[in-house]
Amino acid sequence: MKPVSEKRQRNLFIGTFIIPTFVFFCIFTIYPVVQALYYSLFDWSGMSEHKTFIGLGNFKDMFKDPIVLRAIGNDYFLVVGKIVGIMIIATFFAVALTRFKFKLAGFFRSIFFIPNVISVVVIGVLWNFIYNPQIGFLNAFLSLFTEEKVDIAWLGFTSHTIWMLLPPAVWAGIGFYMILIIAAIQNIPDSFYEAAELEGAGQWRQFRSITVPLVWEQMKVSIINIMMTTLNGSFVIVWIMTEGGPDNSTQVMGSYLYQMAFRQYHFGFAAAIGVLILGLSLITTVVMQRLLRHETVELS
Amino acid sequence: MAVNKKAAALGLAAVVALTSLAACGKGGNDSNGAASPSASPSESATPSDSASPSASPSASGSESDGGGTKLTGDFEIQYFVGGYGDKWWKKVIADFKAANPDLNVIEAGGPKINDQNKPRWIGGNPPDFVYIDGPNLNDRQMVEDGQLEDLTDWLKDAKNVDGDKILDILAQAPQQYDGKIYNIPLVLNSWGIFWNKALFKDKGWTEPANFDEFMQVSDKIKADGITPFIHTGKYPYYINGAFLYPAIVSNNNDDYTILQKMATNDIEAYKSPAVLAALNQIVALRDKGFIDKASIQINHTDSQMLFLQNKDAFIPNGLWLPNEMAKDVPQGFDFGFIPSITQKAGGKVVANTSTATVAVAKKAKNKEAAKAFLQFIFSKAQASQWAELSGAPSNIKGDISSSNAPNFVKDAAKYLTDPNTIVIPTITFNADVDKAMQDATDALTISKITPEEWVKRVTDVVAKVKQ
Amino acid sequence: MHSGIKNPVVKIIFYAILVIWGFSVLYPLLWTLLDALKDNEQFFFNAPWALPEVPLIWSNFSYVWSKYNFDRYFINSIVVTGGSTLLGLLLSAMTAYVLARYKFRGSGALYLLYISSMMVPFILALIPLFFLMNSLGLINTTIGLVFVYASSVLAFGIFVLVGFFKSLPKELEEASIIDGASHYGTFFRVMLPLSQPGLITVGIVNVLNIWNEYIVGTILINDPKHYTLPVEIGVMQAEMQYRTEWGPLFAALLMTIVPVLVIYIVFQRKIASGITAGAVK
Repeated sequence: MKPVSEKRQRNLFIGTFIIPTFVFFCIFTIYPVVQALYYSLFDWSGMSEHKTFIGLGNFKDMFKDPIVLRAIGNDYFLVVGKIVGIMIIATFFAVALTRFKFKLAGFFRSIFFIPNVISVVVIGVLWNFIYNPQIGFLNAFLSLFTEEKVDIAWLGFTSHTIWMLLPPAVWAGIGFYMILIIAAIQNIPDSFYEAAELEGAGQWRQFRSITVPLVWEQMKVSIINIMMTTLNGSFVIVWIMTEGGPDNSTQVMGSYLYQMAFRQYHFGFAAAIGVLILGLSLITTVVMQRLLRHETVELS
Repeated sequence: MAVNKKAAALGLAAVVALTSLAACGKGGNDSNGAASPSASPSESATPSDSASPSASPSASGSESDGGGTKLTGDFEIQYFVGGYGDKWWKKVIADFKAANPDLNVIEAGGPKINDQNKPRWIGGNPPDFVYIDGPNLNDRQMVEDGQLEDLTDWLKDAKNVDGDKILDILAQAPQQYDGKIYNIPLVLNSWGIFWNKALFKDKGWTEPANFDEFMQVSDKIKADGITPFIHTGKYPYYINGAFLYPAIVSNNNDDYTILQKMATNDIEAYKSPAVLAALNQIVALRDKGFIDKASIQINHTDSQMLFLQNKDAFIPNGLWLPNEMAKDVPQGFDFGFIPSITQKAGGKVVANTSTATVAVAKKAKNKEAAKAFLQFIFSKAQASQWAELSGAPSNIKGDISSSNAPNFVKDAAKYLTDPNTIVIPTITFNADVDKAMQDATDALTISKITPEEWVKRVTDVVAKVKQ
Repeated sequence: MHSGIKNPVVKIIFYAILVIWGFSVLYPLLWTLLDALKDNEQFFFNAPWALPEVPLIWSNFSYVWSKYNFDRYFINSIVVTGGSTLLGLLLSAMTAYVLARYKFRGSGALYLLYISSMMVPFILALIPLFFLMNSLGLINTTIGLVFVYASSVLAFGIFVLVGFFKSLPKELEEASIIDGASHYGTFFRVMLPLSQPGLITVGIVNVLNIWNEYIVGTILINDPKHYTLPVEIGVMQAEMQYRTEWGPLFAALLMTIVPVLVIYIVFQRKIASGITAGAVK
C-alpha cells in the first residue's frame, strides 16, 4: 500500500469516527448552550413572536431582584451544607468500612449506595411524606415523645426553610462519594498502615497522617463535584418538594429559572439566570481548586 | 425548522385536498361558506381568516341546522382536567364527533396539559381549541403574546346550534382586552368559604354570615379544640381568591372596580386603604391563631382532606371542592358555603367569580371546526350537562333548579344571581403581580411581613412590570 | 493484620451508626411497599409506620399499571434508556478510540471540549433545547429524547473510554493491522470486544442516570403516550392536587425503583468502578 493512500485511509477513518459524534454533540449540546447565551440578551416571553434586544438588561434586573440574591444564597447554603454533611459522613463510612474491619462491611457498602440509584423525583415525593405536617412521618414520630400532637410545618418556616432540604440532599448523596473514597483508600498500600501500626499509631493518627493525605486528591474531586452538581441540579428536588416556596424561601437559581421561564413567561430572563449559574459554577470551581490545592501543600 | 415546515406543508396539502372535496360535496350553497373551509385550515400564517368575519356568521348560520357545513380534517381540543373532572369533556366531544362524523377530533386533556402543550404554543403549532383553566395558563399573557384568535367580530352575531345568539345567553360577558374579545367564559364559579354544616350543628356553633360572626365562632371553635381555618399555602391563590379579593371589595364600599384597576397595574389602587384593611383581616385571623400551621406547606388535597376530616372548620376554596373530593367526603358531611366572609354585619356578600374560558388559537389549523365547536358547547343542553357532569355552574343563563345538578351548584347559582350579591367579574392579573401577591400573602400568614410590607412588595413588582 | 478498632465502646457506637444509617436507607423502601398497600383512610388515621390493614390492597399495583398506563411508561422508559445508552456508547466509543490512539491536529482541543462540557450546567441548555427540538419536530417523540440523552452522556463516555483504550496494549492493534485488517475492522473486531468491561461500566452508569432522569423528560415530552416513568411520577404527584390516591402513588414509586434496584444488585461492582473512573479527573 502506498503511504499516501494509507494516510488518506487513516484520515477517512478518523473523520468517520469523529464527525458523527461531533455533529451530534454540536446539535444537542453546544448549540443550545450558545443559544442560551443569545436569548439572555432579549426580553422575550417565550410565547410571543417578537423578542426585544435589551443587551445586558436582564443581568441588570437580575442583581436588583431580591429573589435572585436569595436563590444564590440558598444555592451556596446547599453547596456548603452538602459538602460538609456528605464529606464527613461519607468519609466516616468509607474509613469504617475499609479500615475498621467490621463484619458485614460489604453488605453495608452495598445498601448505603441504594439512595443513589433512586430517581430524585422519587426521593422528593418520599421526603414530602416525611415532612407532611399532618400525615407525615416526622411529626408522627416526634408525637411519640410529646403529650400533644406535634404539628410542625417542616417546609413552611418563616425563614431557613431551605435547611429542611439539606437532609434529603445529603441522604441521597452519601453513597456515591463513599464509594469514591473507598476506592481511594483501597489504593493505599497496606504496608503504610502496617508501618504506622508498628510505630503504635492509633486509628485516629492513621486516619490523619495516612488516609487523609493520600485520599485528599479524591476528596478534592468529590468536593468540587458536589459543588457543581448542587449548583446545576439541586433544583429538581426543590421543585418536587416546595416549588421554591413558601414565599420563595427555598428558591434556588435553577428553580427560579424554571419558574421564570415556564410560569411567569420571562424566557430571556430565565436564560440569563442560566448564564449566571454557568458563571458562578466556573468561578467557584476555580476558587475551590485554588483553596484545596493550597491545603494539599500544607498537609503533605 | 426546515423539517417542520415541510411536514406542515405536507399536512396542509392533505387538509386542503380533503376540505376542497368537502366543499364540492356540499355544493357551495353559499359562497362564503365554501370559501372559508379551504381558507381557514391552510392559512394559519395569514391573518386573512380572522379578518373575514363575514364568512363566519354565515358559516355558523349553515351550521345551526346540523349538517349544513361538513367539518373535516383534524380538530384538536386542549382541556385541563382539574376539579371539574373530564366527564363533561368526554361527553361533549363524543357528541360533537357524532354530529360531525368526518371530523377527526383529537383530545389533549389532563391535569398537566397546560405545561405539556406549552411547547406547541411556543412553536406555533398549537391545538385548535383551548380551554383555559388551571395553573400555568394565563389568558392575559396568551392575549399579549398574540396566541389567541380575535373573536370580537365573530362573536358579535354568532349563534349557537339552537339558533340563540351566544352573547345573549352568557351569564358573565367575556373579558375585554382593549375592547377586543379573545376568550369566552364557559364556567362561572365562585370562590368562597366552606364549612361542614353537620359539624356546626353537632357542636352548636353558629354558621357565620359576616366577619364579626366569623371571628366569634372561630373563637369558640378554637376553644373546642379544633383549628378554625386552613388554606392551601403551597398555592396561595386560594386564599387570595376566596378571602383577600372579596375583602378588598367589601372594604371598598362594595365597589369592585378597584380590583380591575389593580389588574391594569394601577399602583394607586394597590395603595388604597381598602387593600390594607383587607390584609388586616388576614392579620386578625393570624394573630388569633386561627390559621392552621400546616397550611403554609400543603397543597389542595392535603388541606381539603384535613377539612373533610373535621380537623379544621373553615377552608377558603372554590365551588368545585365538593366534586373534586367526592370520593373522600365522609358520610354525613354537609357542605356549608358563603362566597365571602369578610363583610361587615349587614354588608353585602361579595362573590369573586372564577371563570374558566375557552378560546381558539390564532394559529389554529381548523378554525372552522373550532368555531363550530364554540357554537356547539354554548347551548342550553350542554350547559345543563356541564352542571351535571362537572358539578359546577356553567356560564349560560338559565334555570338549572330542575336539572340534575347537585344542590350546592344550585345554591351557588342562587348566590350569583341574587341582586344583593356583589358579583366580581373574573379578573386575571399580570403573572408577575399575581405571583408577588401570592408570595406576599403567604408571608403575611406566617408573620413574616406586615400588611404595609405586603403593599410595598407588590407595588414594587407592579412598578417593574409597568416599565 | 490487626482487628480495626480496639476500644469496644467506640466499636459499638460506630457499629450502631452503621446500623442506623443502613436502616434509614432500607426503611424507605419497605415503607414504600407498605404504603402501596393502604387506602386513603389508613394514610389519614394510622401512624405512617403502621402496617397496612388486611385485606392488603394489592389492587393499587394493577390499578397503577392499567389505569395510569404504567405498562406503557415502563416500555417507554426501557426503550428510551436502552436506545440512548446504546447510541451514546457507540458514539462515545468511536470518538474515544480515535482520541486515544490517533494523533491529529485539534485532537487535544477536541478532547478538552468534550471534557469541559461536563462543567456546563444542563439547565442552561434546557430552554434553547426545547425550542430546538420543537423546530426539528423532535419534541414529544421518543427518538428526540433518545438523541438528547445520548448526547448528554457523550462527555462522560468519552472521558472514561479514552482512559480505557489507552490502557489497552498497542500490540494487539498492530498485529491486527499487520494481518491486513482495516482501521474499521481493527476497531470493531479487536478493540471493541476488548473494551467490553469499560463499555459495560459506562453503560450501566448511563442506564441508571437516564432511567431516573426527570427534568429533560418533563420539558421535552408532553404527550402522555411518550412519558417515561419519572415524568409520570411527577405528573402523578401533581395530580394528587386534584385527586387523592396515595396508595397508588406509592405503588408507582415502587415500580419505578425496583428495576434500577435489580440492575444495581446485579451490576454492583461495575457501578462502583464506573463512578470511580468517572470522578478521577
